[in-house]
Amino acid sequence: MLQGHQCPVPSWLMSERPELITIQQIAKTFGGKEDSVVALEPFSLEIAEGELVSIVGPSGCGKSTLLRIIAGLEKPTSGKIVLGTADLKRPVGFVFQDAVLLPWKTVADNIRFPLDTSGIPRSQGEEKVRELIRLVGLEGFENSLPKQLSGGMRQRAAIARALADDPPILLMDEPFSAVDLLTRETLNDELSRIWRQTGKTILLVTHSVEEAAYLGTKVMVMSPRPGRLKKTIDVGLPLPRDEHTRRSAEYLDLVSDLRNMMREMTK
Amino acid sequence: MNGRLRASFEYGTALLLLAFAWWYASGPMGMPHYLLPSPQSVIATLWDLLQDGQLLPHVAFTVQNIVLGLVIGTVFGVALAYLLFKIPGLGEVVEGPLVVLQTAPKIALAPLIIIWFGLGLTAKIVLIVSLVFFPVFAGALAGLRAIDSRLHDLADLLHLSPLQRLASIDLPASLPGIFVGVKIGAIQALVGAILAEWMSGAQGLGYMMTFATATYKTPMLFGAVLLTALFGMAMHAVLNEIEARFLSWSTPDEQ
Repeated sequence: MLQGHQCPVPSWLMSERPELITIQQIAKTFGGKEDSVVALEPFSLEIAEGELVSIVGPSGCGKSTLLRIIAGLEKPTSGKIVLGTADLKRPVGFVFQDAVLLPWKTVADNIRFPLDTSGIPRSQGEEKVRELIRLVGLEGFENSLPKQLSGGMRQRAAIARALADDPPILLMDEPFSAVDLLTRETLNDELSRIWRQTGKTILLVTHSVEEAAYLGTKVMVMSPRPGRLKKTIDVGLPLPRDEHTRRSAEYLDLVSDLRNMMREMTK
Repeated sequence: MNGRLRASFEYGTALLLLAFAWWYASGPMGMPHYLLPSPQSVIATLWDLLQDGQLLPHVAFTVQNIVLGLVIGTVFGVALAYLLFKIPGLGEVVEGPLVVLQTAPKIALAPLIIIWFGLGLTAKIVLIVSLVFFPVFAGALAGLRAIDSRLHDLADLLHLSPLQRLASIDLPASLPGIFVGVKIGAIQALVGAILAEWMSGAQGLGYMMTFATATYKTPMLFGAVLLTALFGMAMHAVLNEIEARFLSWSTPDEQ
């Protein structure tokens, strides 16, 4: 655990934390009466502040739908989500599968966009934007257009934008599925670091069991057709996670357990 | 930059060749002067007209009508496209009448427009606007419909107001489409402006053409045509420059 010394387990993770996201009997059905498709069967779950929950499952398990419901982009057919974020106007930051940056704005302006649209004067947001660019490692690319960046860098910018107005919750919908494996591992490490540094509550949808196990403090396993929550696993892997984690027996066991579950479902 | 330099070189060469052919036909080849005046005599005529102050008001009148018609037509075109984009049901209602209007030959309607709107400026602007409107409308609607739906998710997440959505997402995202329409509309505007001046009034480059024809002043006719062509090219160049400067984000980088 050599690298561990620079990034110890943050204190906020050690203590008892309040529930931040309460999912109450959420269900979602798409379509009309005759040709309706059940995307999500009702389930309930509580997620504590500061948790990083991986949501893993094959296509059609409703994991993205769940994320969109929590974000308020879609309405559940029944049930409700209670966020313990008081009455924040923008309680969640959202990271899409591919970055969805505004192609006509520079990296810095994209990151600044949530601040600009909430009426924060430019001069005041300046320091925040610089700090975010440092956080995601995009120094020197402030004035580049999205088309000039690689997929991984665009995704870094998207993460910075999602964090710009400091939402307590970060929702990520397969954020690294469009980048190559090596970049993906780097970005996983970066995300783990950002999570520890910021103390955000993160929900990460992925179809990679490795990513789910490596990053999560909890893994929600979902099964398809109809989408349902199959199992919630508490991940006991020590923090911070690093190369040692990837080689540890606990991690490899968890990955193979998850993979077996996936295999069962897609039979 | 290299590509643009090359383009202007090619333009320049083409223009020089054309000027040379003109000079050759009117001079050494011996075409009669009343059919094809020499380049020198055309430029001399234009110079004289400029000197005694007759030229600039005509040029200014035509340019003013084109710019005015282009701006008004663009505003209307984008506004209607945005309404149709925002109110999906509206499309079905307006589509029929729009197709009829769009396919109607506006140039053939020009005399009718003069009857309705008189011999003055209004009829000219109405004609130009009617020509500019459709390409801009079609381009804007295509641009708006091509917007990545996740940009609208982003707008929802940030709880943007309708005005913020328009100004910071819908308008910039559909700008490339709008611009395609404006470029086509600009050429149409030039045609419309000249046509309108042929039919009525005593101002503008189009009027200069009819006046020169009626009085057998062929060098003056050529001068007016030349200026119209030059203005068309200048407009094209300005629009290209705007596109290169503000819409470069929408085109992939040259490798």
